[in-house]
Amino acid sequence: MDSRQIESLLEKYWNCDTSLEEEKQLKAFFAAENVPPSLKETAELFSYFQNQRQRPLADGRFDANILKKLKQASPEGNVIKMFSNVAKIAAGVVVLAAATYMVRQEVRKSYPAEVADTYSDPKLALEETKKALMLISKGFGKAQKEASKIELFNEAERRIKGKQDEKKVISNI
Amino acid sequence: MNLAAFQTRILSAKSKLFRFAFRLLDNEEEAKDVVQEVFIKVWNRRERMNEVENWEAWCMRMTKNLSLDRIRSRQRRAVDSIDDHFDVSTAALSPQESTELNESMQRITLFINSLPEKQRQVIHLRDVEGYSYNEICEILELDMNQVKVNLFRARSSVREKLIKINAYGL
Repeated sequence: MDSRQIESLLEKYWNCDTSLEEEKQLKAFFAAENVPPSLKETAELFSYFQNQRQRPLADGRFDANILKKLKQASPEGNVIKMFSNVAKIAAGVVVLAAATYMVRQEVRKSYPAEVADTYSDPKLALEETKKALMLISKGFGKAQKEASKIELFNEAERRIKGKQDEKKVISNI
Repeated sequence: MNLAAFQTRILSAKSKLFRFAFRLLDNEEEAKDVVQEVFIKVWNRRERMNEVENWEAWCMRMTKNLSLDRIRSRQRRAVDSIDDHFDVSTAALSPQESTELNESMQRITLFINSLPEKQRQVIHLRDVEGYSYNEICEILELDMNQVKVNLFRARSSVREKLIKINAYGL
């Protein structure tokens, strides 16, 4: 590009009439080494622009930090939606389980006391049961003894009756 | 949009966003914070990204708005008057700039930094980042006329100062 072309492009540039394409040409021209001394200060300006453009966000941990933050703060997205749905269902189940447990507790409270277990140790319960059964069996034994006396009366009655029958037979003869 | 697509499509624009935020805030750490904030906002609205025609311009606009919010809250906090604070913060070089740049670059940095805010934004977007006029309108929420007037004034002002330096060594 000759100097006249550059001059006219620059004139357009100062008047803000250059297109992006033309500005790219100017940038390329000033990035080259053989810039005429008359354009020294304009070259400095373009070199400033280039210098600024090449300035990166120089922080090695920036990407890692931002990605970590993005993973933490994710109100949208399918995975999160799925998680929130599962969480809703789980919350419902927990509420239902808690309600069932509480109702059961209430029902147990209102049950008659004698139905409930009185012994927690099965051995002790067995001993107590044996004791109770022994008491009953002792009662039965006593009753049987008394009942055997009744048998005696029956026997006597039968004998008397037998004798009376014998007498009748004899008198009939 | 998943994380991998976000990384290739959006995260790759981080340096552009950072430069623009730095141009407005003149503070590297704050500029990084703004870029991070922009990315989190974009990620949270990623389901609507398909509706956005030019996502890069959209990110740049968000960068501008968040940076200006910070400037406003900074000004509210400042004990000095707003005008004093504005002059001091914009026309001076950051310590990093004064060690990194040679004399002529430092001079131009001062010229650009002393421009009014809108002109600084427009010249940065056009001459540093190479955005089209339409994109600049979208980013800065200005009409075409305002963009061109601001760019014309910014370039003229810098040119004038460069000519003065060259002619009188001022």
